[in-house]
Amino acid sequence: MDSLILANIRQRPTRTLVSVIGVALGVVLILINTGLVRGMLNDRMKREKGVGGEIRFLRPGSGVLTTSSLPLDIRYADRLRQIEGVKSVSPVGAYIQGGGAGIGIEAVEGIEFESYAAMSGLKIIEGRLFQNDNEVIVDDFKAAKSKAKIGNEIDVFGKKLKVVGIYSPPSGSRIKMSLTAMQNYLASANKCTLMMVKCVDPEKQEEVQRRINAELPGNTVQLIRDLPSFERAIPGLNGFIRTILVLSTIVSSLVILLAMYTTITERTREIGILKSLGASKRFIITVIEKEAITISLIGVTVGLIAALMIGWVIGATTTLQVEFQFSWIAIAALIGLAAGIGGAFYPAVRAANQDAVKALSYE
Amino acid sequence: MPILQTDNLVMTYRVGKVDVHALRGVNLGVEKGEFVSIMGHSGSGKSTLLHILGGLLKPTSGKVIVDGEDLAAVGDAQRTDIRRRKIGFVFQRFNLFPTLTAEGNLKLAEHIHGNSGNGNAELRREVLRLLKLENKMQHKPLELSGGEQQRVALARAVINRPAIILADEPTGNLDSENSEIVLQMLVQLNRDIGQTIVMITHNPEAAEIASRKILMRDGQIVSH
Repeated sequence: MDSLILANIRQRPTRTLVSVIGVALGVVLILINTGLVRGMLNDRMKREKGVGGEIRFLRPGSGVLTTSSLPLDIRYADRLRQIEGVKSVSPVGAYIQGGGAGIGIEAVEGIEFESYAAMSGLKIIEGRLFQNDNEVIVDDFKAAKSKAKIGNEIDVFGKKLKVVGIYSPPSGSRIKMSLTAMQNYLASANKCTLMMVKCVDPEKQEEVQRRINAELPGNTVQLIRDLPSFERAIPGLNGFIRTILVLSTIVSSLVILLAMYTTITERTREIGILKSLGASKRFIITVIEKEAITISLIGVTVGLIAALMIGWVIGATTTLQVEFQFSWIAIAALIGLAAGIGGAFYPAVRAANQDAVKALSYE
Repeated sequence: MPILQTDNLVMTYRVGKVDVHALRGVNLGVEKGEFVSIMGHSGSGKSTLLHILGGLLKPTSGKVIVDGEDLAAVGDAQRTDIRRRKIGFVFQRFNLFPTLTAEGNLKLAEHIHGNSGNGNAELRREVLRLLKLENKMQHKPLELSGGEQQRVALARAVINRPAIILADEPTGNLDSENSEIVLQMLVQLNRDIGQTIVMITHNPEAAEIASRKILMRDGQIVSH
């Protein structure tokens, strides 16, 4: 039986190739999407924690990854500085825009350079600091991976802003401008998105958090170390991933179904021969399902290799990070196999139920 | 007791609103080791009879006893099982798997029958020797002549030692030289290993090689 399956796979190379691509596409879709989301958000979280403060103070419902407005009054900074245990406060504006090359999202931060640099240790390593509303600075990673070099222009707020400096180490977003410039662009004078708070004694950050909550109730006071995991960072993310899974399964299943259905029609006479030899329905279904499983296994392997290569290319040519996780690789492989088994089932049952005499006389 | 026996076999097809009476009470008995040919014009019912004898069709009424089991009294799955164990088919168009070698075709038949080991290696050697196929086993059907393909089909039919071989116009696609070779091999299989054979044919010369000739007309046996 195995030789029949392998012979059929070899005999119809175009059908096999299309089916393999169909399954591989589903696997790539799952791995790149989940890898990209995970990589981007984990990278963002890592840099967020690298700002140096222990506490984030913001309005309820807002956040760096979910807000492109400045809802927080800048005067909160003075009130926060007066709370016992607070060493320094740095207001930050956040703006989210589409990522470079049309992939993903990109955050831009408006900062008060002195307070932010004091908290994070950020330094200009090349060029100079922004001096007007049309100037930005970028981190060394973005400068190395993109066209954002000193003197070049990049799109922010739909305008061309000039890169005048490169900073290090990366912290927060990769593009920064003055908070005043951002307020001007967003018509939000004296506003920001959040305040980064550094404690006198980082060990006592929970005490400081309690005091801030007591002094300024009705706001969100987050410890940086408790920032949500990537699945919870963006509302609806799990729904998005589930949609990708369902779509991948449907795409792969349909490709296998169509390919196997066509093959079964072509092989009607061979089904008749199997029946004349005494092959049971179960035997015929098994032959077709084994063929689909073999094709799916090849598709899963090709998909895994393609996803790894695409992830590497994205990492090497853009500022985006793709993080593959074993559990998602296993899920993608299982979905690829399940799509093959499910997609081939109807054609297999149809073949098994064919009338033997009609099948034998099929031209 | 005959190895194959039919009792008042009736087959009626419904074509649109018309009943077509393909078999009208066929009574046939074939003894073990017999070689029987069935002749008749197109539409005489001989192909329908062969398909029913092989369990590919279920008759409208009547009995079909193959080696003690009634094909007409069981469901599709059991008919398939009886066919697997007791029937070997040879078709006019050879019906080999084009993607498999001659050996692959034989092994597939053995696998379906349940003989996936080498338990019947001696029988296989004997069959291949009888059919002069020892050197053709690694060839695919398209690399073989029509006569050679039909010999492979014969080997496939006989490899599991079925109770009966049902041959449906086995020389219909062959030239006279290859027809003669295939017919002689049927005779040889019948004579040397005692294989029971029922063959339907249009060709009177082909029918002559059988030990018994049956003539069918209008769904009935008219002479034995």
